[in-house]
Amino acid sequence: MSAPHLALAVDIGGTFTDVVVLDQRTGRFHAHKELTTPDNPARGVVTGIARLFAREALACADVGRIVHATTLFTNALIERRGARTGLITTAGFRDTLEIGHERKYELYDLHLPLPEPLVRRSLREEASERIGPDGGIEQPLDAGSLRAAAARLVDKGVESLAVVFLHAYANPAHEQAAGRILAEAHPGLPVSLSSEVAPQIREYDRTSTTVANAYIKPLADAYLGRLSTDLRELGLRAPLFMMLSNGGLTHLEEAQRVPVQLLESGPAAGALAAAVFGARSGLRDLLAFDMGGTTAKLCVVQGGEPLVAHRFEAGRERRFTRGSGLPLAISTVELIEIGAGGGSIARLDALGLLKVGPRSAGSEPGPACYARGGTAPTVTDGNLLLGLLDAEGFAGGTMRLDAGLAERAVGEVATEGGLATAEAASGIHAVVNETMAAAARVHVAEHGRDARDFALLVTGGGGPLHGCEVARRLGIRRVVCPPAAGVASALGLLLAPARVDRVATLARTLDQLPPEALEAAFQRLEEEAGAVVAATLGPDVPREVRRGADMRFAGQGYEIVAALPPGPYGAASLAPLRDAFLAAYDAIFTRRPPVQGIEFVNIRVSVSAKPPGSSLEPGLAAAPTPVGQRGLRIEGKLVPVPVHARAGLVAGARLQGPALVEDGMSTLVLPPGAVASVEANGNLVVTLPGPRQAADTPLMEHAP
Amino acid sequence: MEHTPRSFDAVELELLWRRLISLVDEAAAALVRTSFSTLVRESYDFSCVVTDAEGQSLVQATESIPSFIGTLPETVKHFLRFFPAEALRPGDVLITNDLWLGTGHLPDITVAKPIFRHGRLVAFSASTAHAPDIGGKIRSPEPREVFEEGLQIPPMKLLRAGEPDETLVAIIRKNVRTPEQTMGDLWAQVVALDLMEERLHVLMEQAGLHDLSDLAREVQARCENAMRAAIAALPDGTYHSALQTDGLLDKPVTLRMALTIAGDRIEVDYSGTDPQVDRAINCALCYTYAMTMYGVKVCTTPTLPNNEGAWRPISVKAPEGCIVNPVFPASGGSRMLIGHYLPMLVFGCLGQVVPERVMAACGSPMWGMNQSGVNAAGKPYANMFFFNGGMGGNVHGDGISCLSWPSNVSSTPVEISEHIAPLRIHHKRLRPDSGGPGRHRGGLGQEILIESRSDTPIAVSFLAERTIFPAFGIEGGQAGAPGMLRINGEKVDPKRQYVLQRGETVLLATPGGGGHGDPGLRGPGALAADLASGHVTDPAPYGR
Repeated sequence: MSAPHLALAVDIGGTFTDVVVLDQRTGRFHAHKELTTPDNPARGVVTGIARLFAREALACADVGRIVHATTLFTNALIERRGARTGLITTAGFRDTLEIGHERKYELYDLHLPLPEPLVRRSLREEASERIGPDGGIEQPLDAGSLRAAAARLVDKGVESLAVVFLHAYANPAHEQAAGRILAEAHPGLPVSLSSEVAPQIREYDRTSTTVANAYIKPLADAYLGRLSTDLRELGLRAPLFMMLSNGGLTHLEEAQRVPVQLLESGPAAGALAAAVFGARSGLRDLLAFDMGGTTAKLCVVQGGEPLVAHRFEAGRERRFTRGSGLPLAISTVELIEIGAGGGSIARLDALGLLKVGPRSAGSEPGPACYARGGTAPTVTDGNLLLGLLDAEGFAGGTMRLDAGLAERAVGEVATEGGLATAEAASGIHAVVNETMAAAARVHVAEHGRDARDFALLVTGGGGPLHGCEVARRLGIRRVVCPPAAGVASALGLLLAPARVDRVATLARTLDQLPPEALEAAFQRLEEEAGAVVAATLGPDVPREVRRGADMRFAGQGYEIVAALPPGPYGAASLAPLRDAFLAAYDAIFTRRPPVQGIEFVNIRVSVSAKPPGSSLEPGLAAAPTPVGQRGLRIEGKLVPVPVHARAGLVAGARLQGPALVEDGMSTLVLPPGAVASVEANGNLVVTLPGPRQAADTPLMEHAP
Repeated sequence: MEHTPRSFDAVELELLWRRLISLVDEAAAALVRTSFSTLVRESYDFSCVVTDAEGQSLVQATESIPSFIGTLPETVKHFLRFFPAEALRPGDVLITNDLWLGTGHLPDITVAKPIFRHGRLVAFSASTAHAPDIGGKIRSPEPREVFEEGLQIPPMKLLRAGEPDETLVAIIRKNVRTPEQTMGDLWAQVVALDLMEERLHVLMEQAGLHDLSDLAREVQARCENAMRAAIAALPDGTYHSALQTDGLLDKPVTLRMALTIAGDRIEVDYSGTDPQVDRAINCALCYTYAMTMYGVKVCTTPTLPNNEGAWRPISVKAPEGCIVNPVFPASGGSRMLIGHYLPMLVFGCLGQVVPERVMAACGSPMWGMNQSGVNAAGKPYANMFFFNGGMGGNVHGDGISCLSWPSNVSSTPVEISEHIAPLRIHHKRLRPDSGGPGRHRGGLGQEILIESRSDTPIAVSFLAERTIFPAFGIEGGQAGAPGMLRINGEKVDPKRQYVLQRGETVLLATPGGGGHGDPGLRGPGALAADLASGHVTDPAPYGR
């Protein structure tokens, strides 16, 4: 028997559970989609794996590692299906969770709903203790008050407990003592400590995060325990790793300890896959753009890595409104979600403007042209009328689209707006593109960058359809359309490094910090993170250690994340540290403020290691099979354009726009003037005409 | 040059408008990222706007607070009176913090940049932001004249054709406690103006626009028509409302409003309102205007984008010398102590015709505690912490506890407060029973106990209202609990300044919101839940 050479990935989404197996010797992969089984998600996983392995005649014994991502925990939070959770805080602060930021996310709405705290007031208790901002103990922990508080909560049926003491990020001693006392008094009761879950200054955000962790912890424990047993019974003996929200991997115990870090694991895998596909074309600065039926997602990839944010919002009351959800201080791949998809509905608003989304017809009843009873005009209806979609071959030929119904639906909004139906169709296309471009522009600006410096990588059913137009609006010249977009997320799981991030709050200025103290703080974090990586991939795997810090000019209230030089730090390190901050600052801002002092707010460590054999088979080649032509509406005129089958394009092939490239799940639209080339790695890379030309030659849209 | 007005269809206009919004939002993102003031970053106490060549606003950043939405475009128009088009050059940046031309108090600094295209003035990019410090007496209601409140900058050029006025910069630096941060924020604002200018040029180039007049006319007309239609749907008539504020404790202030709906116009008249006072709670007309507009918009067109057109159908007048239109040299540093009541007066009037669109009174104006002193290193410091009361109940449900309204200023985290100031906060908790009883009860206020740990004295002053007149209920609902301010357990006058020694304490209790509807009609389930959670401990007002 050969050494285990297969790697297995499982990605559970709302509808499908994707299973991908990669042969690490050949770089070849096989994929299978299984319907998700919400009542017992492990069942769908096991069935899916069994089916795929049977189909491809693979042996469980050949699997060397299993990587898993899931949206189960996010959904549990959104649907409020977590455990009955209690909270114990420093005396005087049990209402922190309910008082929140005291800010509204909408100025003019008197009825705005705020998310209910995950722990209601009657399940929030207090214990006597006090630690100062410098970490000094000002009042010792009163164990009696803690025991009494916990006993009251357990009497009320609490199944999981969060403990959050003030300034615990500066000194965790009291929380750790509380952890020991509670374990003794209530063995088996899951306890989440804020100093372990989110050791960062700002008590509301830390409380919200710790409580969310406690809320999903029993669920995560049960699910992950069940899954590993089931996999074992299937004959899979390989270790199971979990994808974290920040795109890293970790082992099962760490995942069970801090499950709040798993919330965004599914989207993180997708972003990682985008970064990998982009890098294969030598493009390391990307906007990864994934457009589906209801929403579009956008992630910035910089230097080959998805940007990681250290704040996240879960369970928003209004999906696309920042500030309407529960704040979580976790590190996640930073994605924005835009209310723009194939099902987004077009309408005329009170001002007589054509608006598209965020309301969506979804897949039921779906766009009018699906002929499932939907009558509202959608993006897909517009696209069909523009000739962008094949009415006969939609969704891999599984569905016929009805152009007559699309015409009727779009015609109605056209009449209302005083437009011809064709104008309304191109208007819908243009407005949804501008909606996505506008969101991208502001998001990129929030990172101090300019969208023009990126390439656009498109996935999802709508990404290839809209990508080139969105790119043009952003001033982007290069668009990448990767292969195998349908299972890209699961594939991303297999290519991800094992990565563990750790953070600690310092809140000191550079001149108040002895270099030895700084070095010691970094080393503590590196040891912790390194131990988890070693437990994940073995002690001998080469590790990459990166140091960073959230820094600012003293007095600023907003930190930037600066990459710092490697340690160890000594007296001579002060100048390089200062320079590293200034370089990061200058990269974002045009003017340096007239301030001398530089402050470390948080220090961050990221330890990562690449799993073995994480490359893909290079080239996909097949004989060319031209499939015909279709009438495309360009600047109001119907123009016949060639249609190519994606599978029929060989490496090195070049296409000139206007043209369409179809694969089973999506259509790539090449506008006039665009040139696409098929690379040996399977990517289709589009180069758009320069900005001047682009302005003079509107593409699918009429001006502006 | 002969000019045929260009028209825009439903698609073109949507595309251009969205581009405009995205460019002011980009500038806002840049300003948040570069600013020093916690007021800008955490509280979004700023705004960015693009106006046409006449200073009439086209678009304003999504994240803006109600006051600046109303004041900023007006300030740009004032700049034009001082510096007409022919006095402006590319690269100029104008500046002022004038109390009457700006926002009603000196810490808000407004800058504007004229934008030229092919040698012609076509637009302004402009921004207002709350500076970390502007000098003068620390922020409190005590100053009797504007001269005590800090540095006054009349409308002038901060940059001339790109060159900073070093004299002005030196004067600003010399007059504020935090020269680095105050100047740092000003340059951050200039960065935002530059960004708007650059993006606007790209947009005009791509859309083939030579100037903004046609586009401005169109977006303003759309908003104006929508506002007129919303007003026309309301019954004509003159509606009155009045309320009393704590004012100067021994001397409450009475505010009066007559709101007339005449066809598609609204006229608001503050005649009968008390005269200005010799304390810094005077509310300059610019701020009065902004807060009045906010109240009207909430009740008429809450989702309408903000631009000049939306305001045209509404006029506001107030007798000169009254507290909502004070004259020079009135002080106004704490003008929100009057101004935050004004939307409530609008609700009092419009509630008579659209009761479903208003709410009971809120535990606002916002509360705050300002401290200043000299830190252990001998450096002067000043901090302001904000705290909010409860919202009023409305026809849809209970008021939200501890929420900023009508402003939108978040509270400073306790851990941050203790880091930057020599204070200990012993508790910050909800005030049970402070929400006004009602079918829908008012939101709860909060109670905060703060102790000085400083070896040197700390001067403290407050923003604190509704300690005498609580937030009233409507439609049969009852009032919320009034606010409370105590030093070392003793009730004190919130409008004065105090000095705290080590170990001395301040207790702030923010007011609860008023209730909506008869408390006897509150659902038994809702009352039981309140009793179980402890939001309510006494069921008596509910008749049970």
